[in-house]
Amino acid sequence: MRTPPPRQKPPCLKTFASLTLLAMVALTPSSARAIDTEVTATTAAQGYALRSPFGDPILMRRRVMQTLGLGVYHLLDDEKPTGPQISVKLRLRLDADIGIESSETTFVRGDTRSRYVPGLIEAPVDLMYGYVEGRNLAGGWLGFRLGRQYQSNSLGWWGFDGGLVRIQSPYVQVEAYGGFEQRGGLPLSLGRYERNGVWRGDRQGLVDSPDAFAMFLEAGRAPAMGFALESATPYWLHARLDYRRVYNTGAVAASYLPGAQGALRTYNETRTSSERLGYAMDATFGDHGAGKGGVVYDLYNQFFSAYYANLDGFVTQRLTVGADFDYFRPTFDGDSIFNWFTQTPITTLTGRGSWQATDRLDLAVNAGVRWWSTDDDPDAPSTLAPDAAGRVGDQGTLVDPKASNTARLTDVLGSAYGRYRWSTGRATLRGVFEVGERGRREGVDVGGERYFHGGKYGASLRGSVFDWRDDLRPDRSATSVGYVVGGMWKPGPMADVLLEWEHNMNRLVGQRFRVLALVNVVVNR
Amino acid sequence: MSRDLSPLLLAATCVAAALLALVPGAQAQGDQAPAASASADEPAPPPAPRAPYNAPMPGGSATPRKLLPPGASFPDPGPSKVIYPPQQIPLRFSHKKHSDKDGLGLKCTECHGAAATSVAASDRLLPSPKVCDGCHGTEHEDLLAVKAGDPGFGSCEVCHAGYQPDHGNNVARVAMPTARMRSNHKIHADRNIQCESCHGAVQEIDLATREQLPRMKGCFGCHAMSGPGKGKAQNDCNVCHEPLPDGRMVSAYPDGKLLPPRWMGNLEHTADYIERHKRVAADNTKACGSCHNENFCTDCHDGRVRPRSIHPNDYLSLHPVEARLDNPRCTSCHQEQQFCQPCHTRAGITMTGSPGNLRNQGRFHPPRAIWSEMPRTRQHHAWEAMRNLNACVACHTERDCTVCHATQAAGGRGFNPHPPDFASRCKSAASKNPRPCLVCHEGANPRDLCR
Repeated sequence: MRTPPPRQKPPCLKTFASLTLLAMVALTPSSARAIDTEVTATTAAQGYALRSPFGDPILMRRRVMQTLGLGVYHLLDDEKPTGPQISVKLRLRLDADIGIESSETTFVRGDTRSRYVPGLIEAPVDLMYGYVEGRNLAGGWLGFRLGRQYQSNSLGWWGFDGGLVRIQSPYVQVEAYGGFEQRGGLPLSLGRYERNGVWRGDRQGLVDSPDAFAMFLEAGRAPAMGFALESATPYWLHARLDYRRVYNTGAVAASYLPGAQGALRTYNETRTSSERLGYAMDATFGDHGAGKGGVVYDLYNQFFSAYYANLDGFVTQRLTVGADFDYFRPTFDGDSIFNWFTQTPITTLTGRGSWQATDRLDLAVNAGVRWWSTDDDPDAPSTLAPDAAGRVGDQGTLVDPKASNTARLTDVLGSAYGRYRWSTGRATLRGVFEVGERGRREGVDVGGERYFHGGKYGASLRGSVFDWRDDLRPDRSATSVGYVVGGMWKPGPMADVLLEWEHNMNRLVGQRFRVLALVNVVVNR
Repeated sequence: MSRDLSPLLLAATCVAAALLALVPGAQAQGDQAPAASASADEPAPPPAPRAPYNAPMPGGSATPRKLLPPGASFPDPGPSKVIYPPQQIPLRFSHKKHSDKDGLGLKCTECHGAAATSVAASDRLLPSPKVCDGCHGTEHEDLLAVKAGDPGFGSCEVCHAGYQPDHGNNVARVAMPTARMRSNHKIHADRNIQCESCHGAVQEIDLATREQLPRMKGCFGCHAMSGPGKGKAQNDCNVCHEPLPDGRMVSAYPDGKLLPPRWMGNLEHTADYIERHKRVAADNTKACGSCHNENFCTDCHDGRVRPRSIHPNDYLSLHPVEARLDNPRCTSCHQEQQFCQPCHTRAGITMTGSPGNLRNQGRFHPPRAIWSEMPRTRQHHAWEAMRNLNACVACHTERDCTVCHATQAAGGRGFNPHPPDFASRCKSAASKNPRPCLVCHEGANPRDLCR
């Protein structure tokens, strides 16, 4: 039996420790200059078990997360809130699961008991964001960000390392940015902001076995650039146009099966990861209503991957009714073969109403239909009948691309929300249902929080009942009942502590428990 | 299929009982009981005489919309109680009588002299009672020994509502908490912006109350104008709202939170706002960033603690069916290969994995004859993939698909997965990224494959 190589201590921990020290230094008083400093930390510990649908294995999740945030503001020493500002912000995160076994993170060739999972790290550290920001410079016309930063717009929620310049005129704001998309497997990075479809990460543990887990691709730098145009005023009409292009670089496997040439191939050219154009706008028509709309065109896939529209009418001061339309067609990273599989969009149409019954109580409901249709109805299999060899087309050939047998799946769905707030607490209710040919789910979730002694202590309780049926796997249908009991303590204005106990019951897993401890600390100077 | 639901029902009953205990009404009954008995022992105070001028309009009727500040709606719920905490103004006063051109004809600044030079919300702009002395014949020089004026016109009860002769020098106190905003009267006065532009037609009402304080919608009349026309009226939130060091505005106060109104981009944080917020974030993150920082977003969108407002209890059991029914929502927070696949691989659900993970593997999907073989039915994996490919990708890697869908020359079985319109897009896609072509097709130049 081979002995696994000794486990390496994650090098990122040193970085984490260094930045912790930096945060402490930042908090020490220096000069009388009006610089504001903020240090935040969140510690979360969770323990629960995850059981395979087949009984074994049972994964004991023992998760510990620690974040450390640092903010330094007013570096230009300008007290005016709307004046020029330079600030620095960063947040580091350690996300450990000490329930991960060493056999899951160490690859041993030929080990028939190996449970190795490519890319799995026991204690990854990532820099969530870290940038220098300038605002209201050049008389309010100029802003910038330099470093790891987020973007949220019609193209979604995204993170990259680089620079962004913003020019603000009285009518329109222009943004241009460039850098590298945050990619899993690179230092201090996670793959949260990559496009779906490619299993990618750091193959360092597989460096001696390039053919092992070939589908786990080596992560490379991903140059990215984009721009945005956004209207500045008036407040009742707003619009934003976004364009973004991301490239993949580096050598990756380009085949998994030994074909005629007998060897796995690699591809090592700069290529498109994603290229999309998005537009979103909203308008408010006084006290009468409001509308929103948006569209995303995928330039790589050459189709509209999403569009939506919403129209709300302000019936009374407290009652709003409206309708939502949503179209979605998934797209994937340019390296992924899944872009080129046959897929058709899911479309949803719902009506909604929200009613602020009193200053304390508000309710909202929505209901509608979601449908998916295709030109290929398997109940009328003329379109893709297998040929004599049992194949359904080959080498890009469709048997009968002109034949069309449209079929549709329709779901009915809805949800209800309720919220009651008072000075020392709140209660919430949420109910959902979805019914369709693929199954159904419905349930209700009721919770409440109450604070005592001026908010120093608190208690929470949440109960839920959900029932579901999976028509593709009827044996996985079940009813679940669960509750969460929590306690809060705020020892001072700078910290709060939360403890929660969760207990769920369903016939598939029996009893399931989860404990959560959370500590938040914020220090300002 | 029989299920023993008795433990579930018992647990549900316990949860319901505990939830009821959290509801304020139950506790409030206990809190109020002593007060109710105390009031029964004490004689009720005599009703205060209804005096004129102790409300904005005679008889306490609603103030007409045209007299309210710009931006007030009708019926008017009043300004924000968080920005302008409730006041106590136990006075009787008629602005109309004092400013009426046929009457005294006073200008605002004759009594509120400090208003024109005030630069902070904390400045006290109520006129000193000494201002009244000149006409009413009273003496407020020493507030511990105020002298009344002529009986009737100069007596204390003329202005001090509820005053009784036996109260001596004691009058009910005026309480006006400082507004939680940045207010610079001087900037506005220097630009010749009249009081009425922000406070409404105070000269037409009797007692001025919180009703006459500026409404945010009214501020937007100048501060959100298009282009250069707005002059120096900036539209940054912190022009008026109290700022935090990081540039956001203070939105949480001990007695309430500032929440955006419906008329402002339909931003009202309704009970279902969790479902609507993405439409706001799509084009106006500046609005979100006025109150929220990155950490607020990442708690859900890149979080490590399951947000209960989105994923309810027992979500580990619930998530497969939700992903199957409505997959698009998952990808707004989860990158599937990074978030879903490690767990699925560890649990032995995936086709791809190490021998130790696959040892206990069972069949996750419907039987092979239905799921994979011909003829295809609505239960076939091809239909599920066409409808919800994101769900497939949460477990399957490319290799799982290429075994059958790669061309025979490339080692697969040649089942063509391409859509009917693929030929029109193939060439352009191959020119931008030929790598996916090479996964399934043999050949040095993928563009040669396009027809």
